[in-house]
Amino acid sequence: MVGSPVLFIAIPLLAAFLIPLLGFVWKESIRVLPGLVLIYLLALSVSLLGQVMHTGTIVEVIAGWKPPWGIDLVFSPFTGLLTTVMLTLGFIIWIYSYRFKNVEFEEAKKYFILFMMLITGSVGIVLTGDIFNQFVFIEITSISAYALTAFYKGRDSAEASFKYLMIGSLSSMFLLLAIILIYSQTGTLNMADIAVRAHDMKPSFKVMIVIFFLTGLGIEAEIFPLNGWAPDAYSQAPGPIGAAFAGITVKAGVYALIRIIFTLFDVQGTHEFLIVIGLTTLIIAELSAIRQVLLKRMLAYSSIGQMGLVLVAFGLGTREGVFAALFLMVNHAIIKSLLFLSGSYLVYNSTQKFISEASGMGKHLPITSFLFSLGAIAIVGMPPFAGFWSKWSVLSAASDAGMITVIVLILLVSIVEVVYYFRVINQIYFSRKESHIEPKRPTVNALIAMISLGLIILVIGFWPDTITGYLQAAADTLMDKGKYIHDVLSTGQLLIP
Amino acid sequence: MNMIIVLFALFLGGAVLTWLADKISGILRDGLFLLTMIGGATLFFLRIPTGSSVDITLAGLHLQWGLTPTAQVFSLVVMGLGVLAAIFAISYMKGKERLGYFYFNFLMSILGMTGILLSRDLVSFFIFWEIMTWSSYFIVIYSGKDVQSTGINYILFSAIGAYAMLTAIVMVWSQGHSLLINDMVRNFPFYPPSWKIWIPLLFLTGFGVKAALMPLHVWAPGAYTRSPMAFTSVFSGALSKMGIYGMIIVFVRMMDVVPQGAVIRDVFAWLGIITAILATIWAIAQDDARKLLAYSSIGQLGYIVTGVALGTPLALMSAFFLTIMHALFKGSLFMVVGAIERQTGTTYLNQVTGLIRKMPWTFLTALISIIALAGIPPVGGFIGKWMLYESMITGDRYILVIFTFFASTAAFMYCYKFLFGFFMGQEEKEWEHVKEAPAAMVVPPLLMALFAAVLGVFPGIILRPIDTAMQGMGFAGSGGHFWQMSTLFNDWGNTIAMKPLAIAVTVIFLLFAIFLTLKGLKETRYTSTKDISTSGEVPLEEENLTFSENFFQPFLRAVGPLMKYRIMVWYRQLGSSVEATADYLRRVYSGNGQTYAIYVILFVVVLLLFKDKLFG
Repeated sequence: MVGSPVLFIAIPLLAAFLIPLLGFVWKESIRVLPGLVLIYLLALSVSLLGQVMHTGTIVEVIAGWKPPWGIDLVFSPFTGLLTTVMLTLGFIIWIYSYRFKNVEFEEAKKYFILFMMLITGSVGIVLTGDIFNQFVFIEITSISAYALTAFYKGRDSAEASFKYLMIGSLSSMFLLLAIILIYSQTGTLNMADIAVRAHDMKPSFKVMIVIFFLTGLGIEAEIFPLNGWAPDAYSQAPGPIGAAFAGITVKAGVYALIRIIFTLFDVQGTHEFLIVIGLTTLIIAELSAIRQVLLKRMLAYSSIGQMGLVLVAFGLGTREGVFAALFLMVNHAIIKSLLFLSGSYLVYNSTQKFISEASGMGKHLPITSFLFSLGAIAIVGMPPFAGFWSKWSVLSAASDAGMITVIVLILLVSIVEVVYYFRVINQIYFSRKESHIEPKRPTVNALIAMISLGLIILVIGFWPDTITGYLQAAADTLMDKGKYIHDVLSTGQLLIP
Repeated sequence: MNMIIVLFALFLGGAVLTWLADKISGILRDGLFLLTMIGGATLFFLRIPTGSSVDITLAGLHLQWGLTPTAQVFSLVVMGLGVLAAIFAISYMKGKERLGYFYFNFLMSILGMTGILLSRDLVSFFIFWEIMTWSSYFIVIYSGKDVQSTGINYILFSAIGAYAMLTAIVMVWSQGHSLLINDMVRNFPFYPPSWKIWIPLLFLTGFGVKAALMPLHVWAPGAYTRSPMAFTSVFSGALSKMGIYGMIIVFVRMMDVVPQGAVIRDVFAWLGIITAILATIWAIAQDDARKLLAYSSIGQLGYIVTGVALGTPLALMSAFFLTIMHALFKGSLFMVVGAIERQTGTTYLNQVTGLIRKMPWTFLTALISIIALAGIPPVGGFIGKWMLYESMITGDRYILVIFTFFASTAAFMYCYKFLFGFFMGQEEKEWEHVKEAPAAMVVPPLLMALFAAVLGVFPGIILRPIDTAMQGMGFAGSGGHFWQMSTLFNDWGNTIAMKPLAIAVTVIFLLFAIFLTLKGLKETRYTSTKDISTSGEVPLEEENLTFSENFFQPFLRAVGPLMKYRIMVWYRQLGSSVEATADYLRRVYSGNGQTYAIYVILFVVVLLLFKDKLFG
């Protein structure tokens, strides 16, 4: 398929603006259009990914301004993989929410506009090669995420959204500070160029910048203690948006953080810091989840914990570590989305979304319960499902790096994870349904979405080689910093005097 | 295509199809289930010869599946018991809910066990191990009772064991990037010194959980009791043996190169015996036959662990032999309990009495199996025990012998309780309606019991494959030496010493049988339990006067102090303190936006303050 990376940003953004206009003409179009856009972009990204695997990174220059002056988009095996994952999830979430709660036209319009913006922003964060541009995309993502969190207009969701907004604005502040510092020190905003010039930068500035980025992007990537907003936002946002947060937005945040640490600045100690902070995040989040009584909140903590694990894997700094982290990101995106999507049907008609209110759903919603259990078993890393392979790669990467303590901690936390997920499975299947709860049967499109996620879990579980090739290429791309700089800057003249 | 892959595909496909067929028709489902199980077993025995292997690459890892002689011995247990339990299950499970689910998990657990035995590398070992774990977990919670306690206990301990094993596996992986078990064993002497202790210990933790070795056994009584008896026979007979299989790999093939190996051996031998003693005492105290057998299983596995841990050729042979014997008699006993449960609706020994006339075949099965369990000649259990004693005595471990002897003597008490409680005693009106179980529930356990009896007379049948297995592990072939060197067991008649004994046993048995028959011919007066007047007190209607009530009370009072300490209490306290800590930690997420903002600021401030230390 012919197309260029710029379409990944232009088309959804355009669609977001077109939705209200087309809505005047044909009401159904607001629901149809996002799907068309997403399936087109998904096909495009798959074909481009296949292409870059052979021919190497595509660098798209916007408006003829060559890097380092203009904005460029980088579609490498690494960014391409993340884009593909995000778009896949975006498409599946669209299928799921096509008839989402049968809300009114106005509501649906807002939902889909914001959803398109969320996709635009997240994909933009991953593709862009310009640090300020990335900041803009982070803002786009965040603002649509705030609005989506408050979608239900209840007191709780408004509160959650406000907390998110508050912490999010702190994030923007630190990001902006960091970018200003970079610009004052290097005089450039192009990431590859910054990476070249970072060597000449004063070490103290470098450390300051990295700290500001760690804070600002750490908020997006949900690291402890910056993730206070996350449990509230996840549990108050609509189910599919919870899935989108776990599968799309957070991944973009982690990407940005990793890009800063791996490509832009090689400050000593950041990798160790990632391991420590990742483990802290993992341990605290999983321990918080064990006594959790609200289903979505439990999933949120689990999600935070998994992100911690991803950071640990990145922090190992080896190629195997990066491979493992990417594998985890992909698996987590798929599995956690399945859990959010099916989980929100399990507690559909309950007011409080207590786990106990999902009791006995195994009888009433057999397929949904089955898929939820599949997701739960997969995410704790039981073979032969997808989660096992990523857990294995993290552990083997850690053992290659000689970090037995890390392995032991990860596995101890995994025991906690096993316990709380299996408790929920037991509750779903073997407790009596609470009498006041009316089970809500999932719509056909929701079923299709959930089943396809379940199938992906099975496919990766039984035949991990379907994606390991892409993951390895992506890991190689991320590790090869020189090639990134070369790829980007060779499209334009070097600014180096 | 390689037959091993076909076998796995057969089990997996059969399991899924059986589940799906549940929606269509019951007969189709049962048929598919039996077909898969029997077909799989047939394929396994006919088309997968020892030594065949297949290599696969998955996710960049080199995996290898193949059949070793050791695995072959265990596969006899898995496949044989699997087929018989499957036939039993069809009849036992008739009319219950969620049968598709049950059969699916049944087949998956068989797949898991077969896979473990066929794995020649650690990752596929682990994968199949986990498949076995979750499928058996789903059967444990099948009844829907105590899922949050028994079920979670089981999965929690399995997870602890599995992750201990996984840690060991990644440690092995980091040394030379090969996952093959043979490579591990070969390279083991070159591992860092501390690893030479940690890796076996971590593996043994994992295997100890499945073999229900104290103190990792706490899941077992509940899990054995809660899963349907058709599966419990597999659970106790075959699934727990996977732990033994793993231990054999560790103890036989790795331990000798470690200087501290002897100490670890001793520790595990003692753990095994302590398990046997305590579990036996607990078994005596049980009134529920399922629980009694569950504790008895834990105890019996204790002997086997001791045998493996001692690791001398004779001890190992006894471990192998006891493994097979235990599968035979415990499998059949659990099925007996299942049949009784099905016919009477209860498994409590102090409720059901006098079934001997109503369920004669079941009684016969139970009788032979109990004799095997108690280790009385001429049924096979004796031979295994004898080899164990002999190996201990030749190794000068007299204290172990005494303890073992105590445990196996005490085991007589629960054997007696089981047999007597169900089958003897007054015939109560309440149980008049009870009939013999259908053939499908009688024949499989009876076959196993008879086979156990045959093995007692001709142990060579099974000792030969065991001998091959041991040769496969590098022991010198015994050439029949082991089952001939002892005067007490041999091929019946090669040695003079055995003959008079055999004749005496037979004659006494026959005379006793004649005596019983003659006595039974006389007019018998039937009374009910309530037909008594002791010390002028007339018992109340609801008072349980079944003689098995409060059985062995003096004994239990005597061992009472021993039973006061329960490790479960400690585990529970540990668990709840962890959860309480977690709950306390959770308050970090106060739900207050201002607090979260302060966290962010604090984070930056701390990073900036310590920036020289962190990012120097």
